[in-house]
Amino acid sequence: MRGVLEYLWRDMLRWTRGKVAVISSLVMPATWLIFVGLALPTSFTTNYLDFITPGILVLTMLTASFQAGSSLIFDKILGFLNKFLALPTPRESILLGKIFFSTARGLLQATVILVLAVLLGAASWSAQVVILTYVLLGVFGILIASFATTIALHLGDHDSYAAVNAMISMPLFFTSSALMPYSVMPRWLATLASINPVSFAIDAIRAVQVNVIMWDRILPLTGMTLLVLAVSIIVFRRTSL
Amino acid sequence: MIVTRNLTKYYGSLCAVSDLNLDIKGEIFGLLGPNGSGKTTTVLMLTTLLRPTSGDAYICGYHTTRSAAKVRSVISYVPQDMAVDIRLTGRENVQLFARLYGLARSKDRVDELLGLMGLSGRADDLVSTYSGGMRRRLELAQALVHEPSVLFLDEPTIGLDVAARRKIWGHIISLRKKGMTVFVTTHYMEEADHACNRVAIIDRGSVAAIGTPGSLKGELGKEIIVVRAEGDFDSFSTENATKIGCAGDEIVFSSDMGSDIVPILTKDLHAAGLTVRSVSVREPTLDDVFLQLVGQGDDRGPFDDRKFRMMLRRRG
Ligand SMILES: Nc1ncnc2c1ncn2[C@@H]1O[C@H](COP(=O)(O)OP(=O)(O)OP(=O)(O)O)[C@@H](O)[C@H]1O
Ligand SMILES: [Mg+2]
Repeated sequence: MRGVLEYLWRDMLRWTRGKVAVISSLVMPATWLIFVGLALPTSFTTNYLDFITPGILVLTMLTASFQAGSSLIFDKILGFLNKFLALPTPRESILLGKIFFSTARGLLQATVILVLAVLLGAASWSAQVVILTYVLLGVFGILIASFATTIALHLGDHDSYAAVNAMISMPLFFTSSALMPYSVMPRWLATLASINPVSFAIDAIRAVQVNVIMWDRILPLTGMTLLVLAVSIIVFRRTSL
Repeated sequence: MIVTRNLTKYYGSLCAVSDLNLDIKGEIFGLLGPNGSGKTTTVLMLTTLLRPTSGDAYICGYHTTRSAAKVRSVISYVPQDMAVDIRLTGRENVQLFARLYGLARSKDRVDELLGLMGLSGRADDLVSTYSGGMRRRLELAQALVHEPSVLFLDEPTIGLDVAARRKIWGHIISLRKKGMTVFVTTHYMEEADHACNRVAIIDRGSVAAIGTPGSLKGELGKEIIVVRAEGDFDSFSTENATKIGCAGDEIVFSSDMGSDIVPILTKDLHAAGLTVRSVSVREPTLDDVFLQLVGQGDDRGPFDDRKFRMMLRRRG
Protein backbone atom coordinates (compact mmCIF):
# COMPACT_ATOMS: atom_id res chain seq x y z
CA MET A 1 0.00 0.00 0.00
CA ARG A 2 1.20 3.48 -0.89
CA GLY A 3 2.94 5.37 1.87
CA VAL A 4 3.71 2.50 4.24
CA LEU A 5 7.27 2.03 3.00
CA GLU A 6 7.83 5.78 2.96
CA TYR A 7 6.76 6.22 6.57
CA LEU A 8 8.81 3.16 7.50
CA TRP A 9 11.84 4.61 5.72
CA ARG A 10 11.43 7.90 7.58
CA ASP A 11 11.29 6.26 11.01
CA MET A 12 14.21 4.01 10.14
CA LEU A 13 16.40 6.94 9.04
CA ARG A 14 15.51 8.96 12.11
CA TRP A 15 16.27 6.05 14.40
CA THR A 16 19.60 5.06 12.87
CA ARG A 17 20.84 8.67 13.02
CA GLY A 18 20.47 8.72 16.80
CA LYS A 19 23.45 6.59 17.79
CA VAL A 20 22.64 6.56 21.50
CA ALA A 21 19.11 5.31 20.87
CA VAL A 22 20.39 2.48 18.69
CA ILE A 23 22.97 1.36 21.22
CA SER A 24 20.55 1.57 24.15
CA SER A 25 17.89 -0.43 22.32
CA LEU A 26 20.39 -3.22 21.71
CA VAL A 27 21.91 -3.18 25.19
CA MET A 28 18.67 -3.03 27.20
CA PRO A 29 17.26 -6.46 26.30
CA ALA A 30 20.71 -7.98 26.78
CA THR A 31 20.80 -6.59 30.32
CA TRP A 32 17.42 -8.15 31.04
CA LEU A 33 18.58 -11.49 29.80
CA ILE A 34 21.78 -11.46 31.83
CA PHE A 35 20.29 -10.25 35.12
CA VAL A 36 17.02 -12.16 35.05
CA GLY A 37 18.28 -15.24 33.26
CA LEU A 38 21.44 -15.78 35.26
CA ALA A 39 20.73 -14.19 38.60
CA LEU A 40 17.26 -15.37 39.69
CA PRO A 41 17.31 -18.41 42.01
CA THR A 42 14.92 -21.07 40.75
CA SER A 43 13.97 -24.58 41.75
CA PHE A 44 11.67 -25.68 38.91
CA THR A 45 14.31 -25.99 36.21
CA THR A 46 18.01 -26.65 35.93
CA ASN A 47 18.50 -24.26 33.04
CA TYR A 48 16.54 -21.11 33.78
CA LEU A 49 18.16 -19.38 30.81
CA ASP A 50 16.43 -21.76 28.41
CA PHE A 51 13.19 -21.14 30.21
CA ILE A 52 13.43 -17.35 30.40
CA THR A 53 14.66 -16.61 26.87
CA PRO A 54 11.17 -16.75 25.24
CA GLY A 55 9.90 -14.48 28.04
CA ILE A 56 12.65 -11.93 27.45
CA LEU A 57 12.04 -12.10 23.67
CA VAL A 58 8.36 -11.31 24.17
CA LEU A 59 9.11 -8.61 26.75
CA THR A 60 11.47 -6.98 24.27
CA MET A 61 8.79 -7.08 21.60
CA LEU A 62 6.28 -5.63 24.05
CA THR A 63 8.55 -2.71 24.88
CA ALA A 64 9.51 -2.13 21.25
CA SER A 65 5.87 -2.12 20.19
CA PHE A 66 4.82 0.37 22.83
CA GLN A 67 7.44 2.71 21.38
CA ALA A 68 5.35 2.88 18.22
CA GLY A 69 2.75 4.79 20.20
CA SER A 70 5.40 7.01 21.71
CA SER A 71 6.70 7.84 18.27
CA LEU A 72 3.19 8.74 17.10
CA ILE A 73 2.66 11.02 20.10
CA PHE A 74 5.83 12.92 19.23
CA ASP A 75 4.74 13.23 15.59
CA LYS A 76 1.47 14.61 16.88
CA ILE A 77 2.94 17.10 19.35
CA LEU A 78 5.54 18.37 16.88
CA GLY A 79 3.03 18.93 14.05
CA PHE A 80 4.16 16.12 11.71
CA LEU A 81 0.91 14.21 12.10
CA ASN A 82 -1.12 17.20 10.89
CA LYS A 83 1.02 17.41 7.78
CA PHE A 84 0.67 13.68 7.12
CA LEU A 85 -3.09 13.70 7.70
CA ALA A 86 -3.50 16.44 5.10
CA LEU A 87 -1.81 14.29 2.43
CA PRO A 88 -3.79 12.24 -0.09
CA THR A 89 -1.76 9.20 1.06
CA PRO A 90 -4.13 6.74 2.82
CA ARG A 91 -4.12 7.61 6.50
CA GLU A 92 -3.78 4.03 7.67
CA SER A 93 -0.32 4.03 6.06
CA ILE A 94 0.84 6.14 8.99
CA LEU A 95 -0.33 3.39 11.35
CA LEU A 96 1.11 0.56 9.27
CA GLY A 97 4.44 2.35 8.90
CA LYS A 98 4.74 2.66 12.68
CA ILE A 99 3.69 -0.97 13.22
CA PHE A 100 6.13 -2.41 10.73
CA PHE A 101 9.00 -0.23 11.89
CA SER A 102 8.57 -1.09 15.56
CA THR A 103 8.13 -4.78 14.73
CA ALA A 104 11.24 -4.82 12.58
CA ARG A 105 13.21 -3.08 15.30
CA GLY A 106 11.84 -5.55 17.86
CA LEU A 107 12.97 -8.48 15.73
CA LEU A 108 16.42 -6.95 15.44
CA GLN A 109 16.59 -6.75 19.23
CA ALA A 110 15.32 -10.33 19.42
CA THR A 111 18.26 -11.41 17.28
CA VAL A 112 20.70 -9.85 19.75
CA ILE A 113 19.01 -11.74 22.57
CA LEU A 114 19.07 -15.06 20.74
CA VAL A 115 22.75 -14.76 19.94
CA LEU A 116 23.57 -13.73 23.47
CA ALA A 117 21.48 -16.52 24.99
CA VAL A 118 23.44 -19.10 23.04
CA LEU A 119 26.73 -17.46 24.04
CA LEU A 120 25.62 -17.63 27.69
CA GLY A 121 24.90 -21.33 27.47
CA ALA A 122 21.32 -21.75 26.30
CA ALA A 123 20.61 -24.62 23.92
CA SER A 124 20.99 -23.39 20.35
CA TRP A 125 17.91 -23.26 18.15
CA SER A 126 17.40 -24.82 14.75
CA ALA A 127 16.66 -22.56 11.78
CA GLN A 128 13.07 -23.78 11.73
CA VAL A 129 12.56 -22.90 15.40
CA VAL A 130 14.10 -19.47 14.87
CA ILE A 131 11.85 -18.73 11.89
CA LEU A 132 8.67 -19.85 13.67
CA THR A 133 9.70 -17.81 16.70
CA TYR A 134 10.16 -14.70 14.54
CA VAL A 135 6.73 -15.19 12.97
CA LEU A 136 5.12 -15.48 16.39
CA LEU A 137 7.02 -12.45 17.70
CA GLY A 138 5.96 -10.55 14.57
CA VAL A 139 2.27 -11.35 15.09
CA PHE A 140 2.53 -10.34 18.74
CA GLY A 141 4.40 -7.14 17.81
CA ILE A 142 1.70 -6.15 15.33
CA LEU A 143 -0.98 -6.71 17.98
CA ILE A 144 0.70 -4.50 20.58
CA ALA A 145 1.91 -1.84 18.14
CA SER A 146 -1.54 -1.33 16.57
CA PHE A 147 -3.08 -1.06 19.99
CA ALA A 148 -0.43 1.37 21.26
CA THR A 149 -0.48 3.57 18.15
CA THR A 150 -4.26 3.84 18.17
CA ILE A 151 -4.30 4.76 21.87
CA ALA A 152 -1.63 7.38 21.19
CA LEU A 153 -3.71 8.92 18.42
CA HIS A 154 -6.28 9.87 21.03
CA LEU A 155 -3.95 11.21 23.72
CA GLY A 156 -2.75 14.79 23.87
CA ASP A 157 0.70 14.61 25.42
CA HIS A 158 3.57 12.27 26.08
CA ASP A 159 3.08 12.11 29.85
CA SER A 160 -0.38 10.59 29.52
CA TYR A 161 0.96 8.12 27.01
CA ALA A 162 3.82 7.12 29.32
CA ALA A 163 1.26 6.62 32.10
CA VAL A 164 -0.95 4.43 29.91
CA ASN A 165 2.09 2.47 28.79
CA ALA A 166 3.25 1.83 32.37
CA MET A 167 -0.28 0.95 33.43
CA ILE A 168 -0.65 -1.67 30.71
CA SER A 169 2.71 -3.10 29.74
CA MET A 170 4.21 -3.95 33.14
CA PRO A 171 1.09 -5.68 34.60
CA LEU A 172 0.68 -7.49 31.29
CA PHE A 173 4.21 -8.83 31.58
CA PHE A 174 4.13 -9.80 35.25
CA THR A 175 0.78 -11.58 34.95
CA SER A 176 2.08 -13.70 32.09
CA SER A 177 3.91 -17.00 31.99
CA ALA A 178 7.20 -15.20 31.30
CA LEU A 179 8.94 -15.67 34.63
CA MET A 180 7.57 -19.01 35.86
CA PRO A 181 5.59 -21.97 34.57
CA TYR A 182 1.87 -22.29 35.34
CA SER A 183 2.58 -25.19 37.73
CA VAL A 184 4.35 -23.01 40.29
CA MET A 185 2.00 -19.99 40.03
CA PRO A 186 -0.67 -19.23 42.64
CA ARG A 187 -4.12 -20.12 41.27
CA TRP A 188 -5.27 -16.53 40.65
CA LEU A 189 -2.09 -15.76 38.74
CA ALA A 190 -2.37 -18.92 36.67
CA THR A 191 -5.91 -17.90 35.69
CA LEU A 192 -4.81 -14.40 34.70
CA ALA A 193 -1.77 -15.72 32.86
CA SER A 194 -3.83 -18.18 30.85
CA ILE A 195 -5.92 -15.38 29.25
CA ASN A 196 -3.04 -12.93 28.76
CA PRO A 197 -1.90 -12.39 25.14
CA VAL A 198 1.68 -12.07 26.38
CA SER A 199 1.41 -15.69 27.63
CA PHE A 200 -0.09 -16.78 24.31
CA ALA A 201 3.06 -15.62 22.56
CA ILE A 202 5.43 -17.00 25.19
CA ASP A 203 3.71 -20.41 25.46
CA ALA A 204 3.61 -20.77 21.68
CA ILE A 205 7.32 -19.97 21.42
CA ARG A 206 8.22 -22.41 24.21
CA ALA A 207 6.22 -25.10 22.42
CA VAL A 208 7.99 -24.32 19.15
CA GLN A 209 11.32 -24.91 20.90
CA VAL A 210 10.28 -28.53 21.46
CA ASN A 211 8.76 -28.77 17.99
CA VAL A 212 5.13 -28.51 19.03
CA ILE A 213 2.67 -26.18 17.27
CA MET A 214 0.33 -24.99 19.98
CA TRP A 215 -2.79 -24.01 18.01
CA ASP A 216 -4.78 -23.16 21.13
CA ARG A 217 -2.28 -20.35 21.73
CA ILE A 218 -1.49 -19.35 18.14
CA LEU A 219 -5.10 -19.05 16.94
CA PRO A 220 -6.35 -16.72 19.69
CA LEU A 221 -3.19 -14.61 19.35
CA THR A 222 -3.61 -14.29 15.59
CA GLY A 223 -7.34 -13.65 15.97
CA MET A 224 -6.74 -10.84 18.46
CA THR A 225 -4.08 -9.35 16.21
CA LEU A 226 -6.35 -9.30 13.16
CA LEU A 227 -9.20 -7.83 15.15
CA VAL A 228 -7.14 -5.06 16.78
CA LEU A 229 -5.42 -4.28 13.49
CA ALA A 230 -8.75 -3.99 11.65
CA VAL A 231 -10.20 -1.70 14.31
CA SER A 232 -7.06 0.44 14.29
CA ILE A 233 -7.16 0.83 10.52
CA ILE A 234 -10.77 1.96 10.66
CA VAL A 235 -9.98 4.41 13.46
CA PHE A 236 -7.08 5.90 11.48
CA ARG A 237 -9.17 6.27 8.34
CA ARG A 238 -11.83 8.17 10.22
CA THR A 239 -9.55 10.23 12.39
CA SER A 240 -10.03 13.94 12.79
CA LEU A 241 -8.52 16.16 15.43
CA MET B 1 -11.37 27.62 -5.31
CA ILE B 2 -12.21 28.03 -1.64
CA VAL B 3 -15.86 28.47 -0.72
CA THR B 4 -17.28 28.35 2.79
CA ARG B 5 -20.93 28.56 3.79
CA ASN B 6 -21.78 29.26 7.42
CA LEU B 7 -18.71 27.32 8.48
CA THR B 8 -18.85 26.97 12.26
CA LYS B 9 -16.77 25.18 14.89
CA TYR B 10 -17.54 24.79 18.57
CA TYR B 11 -15.08 23.31 21.05
CA GLY B 12 -17.57 22.27 23.70
CA SER B 13 -19.42 25.49 24.39
CA LEU B 14 -16.64 27.74 23.06
CA CYS B 15 -17.37 29.06 19.59
CA ALA B 16 -14.00 29.13 17.81
CA VAL B 17 -15.32 29.94 14.31
CA SER B 18 -18.77 31.35 13.67
CA ASP B 19 -20.72 31.38 10.38
CA LEU B 20 -17.76 31.97 8.12
CA ASN B 21 -18.66 32.79 4.49
CA LEU B 22 -15.73 33.18 2.12
CA ASP B 23 -15.28 33.02 -1.66
CA ILE B 24 -11.63 32.91 -2.61
CA LYS B 25 -10.25 32.41 -6.08
CA GLY B 26 -6.83 32.91 -7.66
CA GLU B 27 -5.44 35.26 -5.07
CA ILE B 28 -3.38 35.54 -1.93
CA PHE B 29 -6.00 35.70 0.77
CA GLY B 30 -4.91 36.74 4.24
CA LEU B 31 -6.80 35.74 7.37
CA LEU B 32 -5.80 38.18 10.08
CA GLY B 33 -6.72 38.11 13.72
CA PRO B 34 -5.34 38.26 17.26
CA ASN B 35 -4.26 35.12 19.18
CA GLY B 36 -7.14 32.73 19.70
CA SER B 37 -9.40 34.35 17.10
CA GLY B 38 -9.92 31.09 15.18
CA LYS B 39 -7.37 31.30 12.35
CA THR B 40 -5.81 27.88 12.89
CA THR B 41 -9.24 26.33 13.50
CA THR B 42 -10.40 27.68 10.12
CA VAL B 43 -7.34 26.31 8.34
CA LEU B 44 -7.76 22.91 9.99
CA MET B 45 -11.35 22.70 8.77
CA LEU B 46 -10.41 23.73 5.24
CA THR B 47 -7.59 21.16 5.11
CA THR B 48 -9.97 18.31 6.15
CA LEU B 49 -8.22 17.82 9.51
CA LEU B 50 -11.07 19.05 11.63
CA ARG B 51 -14.77 18.35 11.22
CA PRO B 52 -16.90 21.52 11.26
CA THR B 53 -19.70 21.60 13.82
CA SER B 54 -21.97 22.94 11.09
CA GLY B 55 -21.76 24.57 7.68
CA ASP B 56 -19.84 23.52 4.58
CA ALA B 57 -16.55 24.19 2.88
CA TYR B 58 -15.53 23.38 -0.68
CA ILE B 59 -12.02 23.35 -2.15
CA CYS B 60 -11.92 23.31 -5.96
CA GLY B 61 -15.55 22.16 -5.84
CA TYR B 62 -14.88 19.22 -3.49
CA HIS B 63 -16.63 19.10 -0.15
CA THR B 64 -14.14 18.98 2.74
CA THR B 65 -15.83 16.18 4.63
CA ARG B 66 -17.75 14.29 1.93
CA SER B 67 -14.84 14.24 -0.58
CA ALA B 68 -11.97 14.70 1.84
CA ALA B 69 -9.55 12.51 -0.16
CA LYS B 70 -10.14 14.61 -3.31
CA VAL B 71 -9.55 17.79 -1.35
CA ARG B 72 -6.27 16.44 0.01
CA SER B 73 -5.02 15.73 -3.47
CA VAL B 74 -5.39 19.36 -4.61
CA ILE B 75 -4.12 21.17 -1.52
CA SER B 76 -0.97 21.53 0.53
CA TYR B 77 -0.80 22.56 4.14
CA VAL B 78 2.08 24.06 6.08
CA PRO B 79 1.10 24.16 9.76
CA GLN B 80 2.00 26.80 12.29
CA ASP B 81 4.55 24.61 14.10
CA MET B 82 7.68 24.17 12.07
CA ALA B 83 7.63 20.42 11.47
CA VAL B 84 10.68 19.23 9.56
CA ASP B 85 12.77 16.21 10.51
CA ILE B 86 15.98 17.63 11.91
CA ARG B 87 17.77 14.28 11.75
CA LEU B 88 17.17 14.07 8.01
CA THR B 89 18.83 16.16 5.34
CA GLY B 90 16.89 18.82 3.47
CA ARG B 91 16.79 16.59 0.41
CA GLU B 92 15.49 13.61 2.40
CA ASN B 93 12.74 15.75 3.88
CA VAL B 94 11.49 16.79 0.44
CA GLN B 95 12.02 13.29 -0.98
CA LEU B 96 9.76 11.88 1.72
CA PHE B 97 6.89 14.08 0.55
CA ALA B 98 7.55 13.44 -3.13
CA ARG B 99 7.31 9.69 -2.46
CA LEU B 100 4.26 10.07 -0.23
CA TYR B 101 2.55 11.87 -3.10
CA GLY B 102 3.55 8.96 -5.29
CA LEU B 103 5.41 11.16 -7.80
CA ALA B 104 7.12 9.45 -10.68
CA ARG B 105 10.57 10.89 -11.45
CA SER B 106 10.54 12.43 -8.01
CA LYS B 107 14.29 13.03 -8.03
CA ASP B 108 14.12 15.78 -10.67
CA ARG B 109 11.21 17.42 -8.94
CA VAL B 110 13.02 17.39 -5.59
CA ASP B 111 16.13 18.97 -7.12
CA GLU B 112 14.05 21.58 -8.88
CA LEU B 113 12.21 22.60 -5.70
CA LEU B 114 15.35 22.71 -3.56
CA GLY B 115 16.79 25.01 -6.21
CA LEU B 116 13.67 27.17 -6.34
CA MET B 117 13.79 27.65 -2.58
CA GLY B 118 17.49 28.47 -2.65
CA LEU B 119 18.50 25.36 -0.72
CA SER B 120 20.54 23.49 -3.34
CA GLY B 121 23.85 24.29 -1.69
CA ARG B 122 22.73 22.92 1.68
CA ALA B 123 20.45 20.12 0.43
CA ASP B 124 22.59 17.32 1.83
CA ASP B 125 23.19 18.85 5.24
CA LEU B 126 21.13 17.73 8.22
CA VAL B 127 18.21 20.05 8.85
CA SER B 128 19.41 20.48 12.45
CA THR B 129 22.00 22.85 10.99
CA TYR B 130 19.39 24.98 9.14
CA SER B 131 18.21 28.41 10.24
CA GLY B 132 14.52 29.09 10.90
CA GLY B 133 14.10 30.75 7.52
CA MET B 134 15.68 27.79 5.72
CA ARG B 135 13.42 25.36 7.56
CA ARG B 136 10.35 27.34 6.48
CA ARG B 137 11.53 27.32 2.86
CA LEU B 138 12.13 23.59 3.16
CA GLU B 139 8.52 23.21 4.28
CA LEU B 140 7.43 25.23 1.26
CA ALA B 141 9.43 22.90 -0.98
CA GLN B 142 7.67 19.92 0.66
CA ALA B 143 4.29 21.55 0.14
CA LEU B 144 4.95 22.25 -3.53
CA VAL B 145 6.07 18.79 -4.70
CA HIS B 146 2.72 17.89 -6.24
CA GLU B 147 1.88 21.36 -7.61
CA PRO B 148 -1.20 21.99 -5.46
CA SER B 149 -4.01 24.26 -6.66
CA VAL B 150 -4.51 25.70 -3.21
CA LEU B 151 -1.80 26.27 -0.63
CA PHE B 152 -2.59 26.80 3.06
CA LEU B 153 0.03 28.52 5.17
CA ASP B 154 -0.57 29.04 8.89
CA GLU B 155 1.62 31.88 10.18
CA PRO B 156 4.42 31.24 7.68
CA THR B 157 6.66 34.03 8.96
CA ILE B 158 6.24 33.69 12.72
CA GLY B 159 9.53 33.87 14.56
CA LEU B 160 11.62 34.69 11.47
CA ASP B 161 13.86 37.72 11.04
CA VAL B 162 13.06 40.50 8.57
CA ALA B 163 15.16 39.16 5.70
CA ALA B 164 13.80 35.64 6.07
CA ARG B 165 10.23 36.95 6.13
CA ARG B 166 10.76 38.97 3.00
CA LYS B 167 12.08 35.87 1.22
CA ILE B 168 9.08 33.79 2.25
CA TRP B 169 6.65 36.46 1.01
CA GLY B 170 8.61 36.75 -2.22
CA HIS B 171 8.06 33.03 -2.80
CA ILE B 172 4.37 33.26 -1.92
CA ILE B 173 3.86 36.12 -4.37
CA SER B 174 5.61 34.25 -7.18
CA LEU B 175 3.42 31.18 -6.53
CA ARG B 176 0.36 33.36 -6.91
CA LYS B 177 1.73 34.63 -10.23
CA LYS B 178 1.96 31.03 -11.40
CA GLY B 179 -1.77 30.68 -10.75
CA MET B 180 -1.90 29.18 -7.28
CA THR B 181 -4.49 30.23 -4.73
CA VAL B 182 -2.80 30.94 -1.41
CA PHE B 183 -4.64 31.07 1.91
CA VAL B 184 -2.41 32.52 4.57
CA THR B 185 -2.93 33.44 8.21
CA THR B 186 -0.78 35.99 9.96
CA HIS B 187 -0.88 38.68 12.56
CA TYR B 188 1.77 40.81 10.91
CA MET B 189 -0.45 43.50 9.36
CA GLU B 190 2.29 45.19 7.41
CA GLU B 191 3.20 41.96 5.62
CA ALA B 192 -0.43 41.21 4.81
CA ASP B 193 -0.91 44.75 3.48
CA HIS B 194 2.05 44.35 1.19
CA ALA B 195 1.43 40.81 -0.10
CA CYS B 196 -2.27 39.91 0.12
CA ASN B 197 -4.77 40.69 -2.61
CA ARG B 198 -7.58 40.52 -0.07
CA VAL B 199 -7.73 40.11 3.68
CA ALA B 200 -10.35 39.22 6.24
CA ILE B 201 -9.97 40.31 9.82
CA ILE B 202 -11.49 37.90 12.29
CA ASP B 203 -12.09 38.41 15.96
CA ARG B 204 -13.55 35.79 18.30
CA GLY B 205 -14.37 33.59 15.33
CA SER B 206 -16.36 36.13 13.31
CA VAL B 207 -15.29 38.16 10.29
CA ALA B 208 -15.12 41.80 11.33
CA ALA B 209 -14.09 43.13 7.89
CA ILE B 210 -13.16 41.77 4.50
CA GLY B 211 -11.76 43.43 1.40
CA THR B 212 -8.57 44.59 -0.28
CA PRO B 213 -6.08 46.18 2.10
CA GLY B 214 -6.58 49.47 0.20
CA SER B 215 -10.36 49.53 0.60
CA LEU B 216 -10.20 48.65 4.29
CA LYS B 217 -7.74 51.47 4.92
CA GLY B 218 -9.83 53.81 2.76
CA GLU B 219 -12.89 53.21 4.88
CA LEU B 220 -11.02 54.50 7.92
CA GLY B 221 -10.45 57.96 6.51
CA LYS B 222 -7.76 59.83 4.61
CA GLU B 223 -5.38 60.26 7.49
CA ILE B 224 -4.53 58.93 10.88
CA ILE B 225 -3.61 61.23 13.73
CA VAL B 226 -1.60 59.76 16.55
CA VAL B 227 -1.58 61.71 19.80
CA ARG B 228 0.66 61.02 22.75
CA ALA B 229 -1.02 62.39 25.78
CA GLU B 230 -1.34 62.07 29.53
CA GLY B 231 -4.57 62.04 31.46
CA ASP B 232 -7.86 60.23 31.26
CA PHE B 233 -8.04 59.61 27.52
CA ASP B 234 -10.28 56.55 27.69
CA SER B 235 -13.34 58.72 28.08
CA PHE B 236 -12.19 61.46 25.67
CA SER B 237 -14.21 61.97 22.51
CA THR B 238 -14.67 64.76 19.97
CA GLU B 239 -16.96 65.37 17.02
CA ASN B 240 -14.13 66.68 14.85
CA ALA B 241 -12.37 63.31 14.39
CA THR B 242 -13.17 59.62 14.81
CA LYS B 243 -11.37 57.97 17.72
CA ILE B 244 -10.36 54.52 16.57
CA GLY B 245 -8.62 53.31 19.70
CA CYS B 246 -5.90 53.61 22.30
CA ALA B 247 -2.58 51.83 22.30
CA GLY B 248 -0.33 52.37 25.32
CA ASP B 249 -0.07 56.14 25.90
CA GLU B 250 -1.24 56.89 22.35
CA ILE B 251 -4.71 57.79 21.16
CA VAL B 252 -5.38 57.15 17.47
CA PHE B 253 -7.90 59.18 15.45
CA SER B 254 -8.91 59.20 11.82
CA SER B 255 -10.17 62.12 9.78
CA ASP B 256 -10.64 63.42 6.23
CA MET B 257 -9.72 67.03 6.96
CA GLY B 258 -6.07 67.03 5.99
CA SER B 259 -3.52 68.72 8.27
CA ASP B 260 -6.14 71.27 9.41
CA ILE B 261 -7.23 68.69 11.93
CA VAL B 262 -4.07 69.05 14.06
CA PRO B 263 -4.79 72.43 15.72
CA ILE B 264 -8.50 71.59 16.10
CA LEU B 265 -7.81 68.28 17.78
CA THR B 266 -5.10 69.75 20.02
CA LYS B 267 -7.55 72.39 21.21
CA ASP B 268 -10.21 69.75 21.97
CA LEU B 269 -7.70 67.67 23.92
CA HIS B 270 -6.60 70.67 25.99
CA ALA B 271 -10.21 71.55 26.68
CA ALA B 272 -10.72 68.03 28.04
CA GLY B 273 -7.82 68.56 30.44
CA LEU B 274 -5.32 66.25 28.75
CA THR B 275 -1.61 67.06 28.53
CA VAL B 276 -0.59 66.67 24.88
CA ARG B 277 3.02 65.53 24.32
CA SER B 278 3.03 65.12 20.54
CA VAL B 279 0.69 64.95 17.56
CA SER B 280 1.57 63.30 14.26
CA VAL B 281 -0.31 62.70 11.03
CA ARG B 282 0.24 59.73 8.70
CA GLU B 283 -1.52 57.54 6.19
CA PRO B 284 -3.74 54.71 7.49
CA THR B 285 -2.25 51.22 7.78
CA LEU B 286 -3.89 47.84 8.30
CA ASP B 287 -2.74 48.11 11.91
CA ASP B 288 -5.14 51.02 12.34
CA VAL B 289 -7.96 49.02 10.74
CA PHE B 290 -7.11 46.20 13.12
CA LEU B 291 -7.00 48.53 16.13
CA GLN B 292 -10.43 49.91 15.31
CA LEU B 293 -12.05 46.52 14.72
CA VAL B 294 -10.33 44.41 17.34
CA GLY B 295 -8.91 46.91 19.79
CA GLN B 296 -6.06 46.12 22.11
CA GLY B 297 -7.98 43.14 23.47
CA ASP B 298 -6.32 40.66 25.77
CA ASP B 299 -4.98 37.43 24.44
CA ARG B 300 -7.85 34.98 24.69
CA GLY B 301 -6.28 31.68 23.67
CA PRO B 302 -4.93 29.28 26.27
CA PHE B 303 -1.24 29.88 26.63
CA ASP B 304 0.67 27.36 24.58
CA ASP B 305 3.85 26.83 26.49
CA ARG B 306 5.58 24.75 23.84
CA LYS B 307 4.69 27.11 21.01
CA PHE B 308 6.08 29.97 23.05
CA ARG B 309 9.35 28.17 23.71
CA MET B 310 9.66 27.33 20.05
CA MET B 311 9.14 30.96 19.14
CA LEU B 312 11.82 32.04 21.58
CA ARG B 313 14.19 29.41 20.27
CA ARG B 314 13.71 30.54 16.70
CA ARG B 315 14.18 34.15 17.65
CA GLY B 316 17.18 33.45 19.89
N1 LIG C 1 -8.50 21.50 20.66
C1 LIG C 1 -9.11 22.55 21.22
N2 LIG C 1 -9.94 22.37 22.26
C2 LIG C 1 -10.58 23.41 22.85
N3 LIG C 1 -10.43 24.69 22.47
C3 LIG C 1 -9.61 24.94 21.44
C4 LIG C 1 -8.90 23.89 20.77
N4 LIG C 1 -8.15 24.44 19.79
C5 LIG C 1 -8.38 25.76 19.85
N5 LIG C 1 -9.26 26.08 20.83
C6 LIG C 1 -9.77 27.43 21.14
O1 LIG C 1 -10.38 27.96 19.98
C7 LIG C 1 -10.07 29.33 19.83
C8 LIG C 1 -9.45 29.55 18.48
O2 LIG C 1 -8.15 28.93 18.45
P1 LIG C 1 -7.20 28.98 17.20
O3 LIG C 1 -6.05 28.10 17.48
O4 LIG C 1 -7.99 28.70 15.98
O5 LIG C 1 -6.74 30.49 17.21
P2 LIG C 1 -5.63 31.23 16.30
O6 LIG C 1 -6.32 32.39 15.70
O7 LIG C 1 -4.98 30.27 15.40
O8 LIG C 1 -4.61 31.73 17.41
P3 LIG C 1 -3.00 31.91 17.33
O9 LIG C 1 -2.76 33.25 16.72
O10 LIG C 1 -2.61 31.90 18.76
O11 LIG C 1 -2.45 30.77 16.56
C9 LIG C 1 -9.19 29.70 20.99
O12 LIG C 1 -9.98 30.33 21.97
C10 LIG C 1 -8.66 28.39 21.50
O13 LIG C 1 -8.50 28.46 22.88
MG1 LIG D 1 -3.01 29.63 15.10
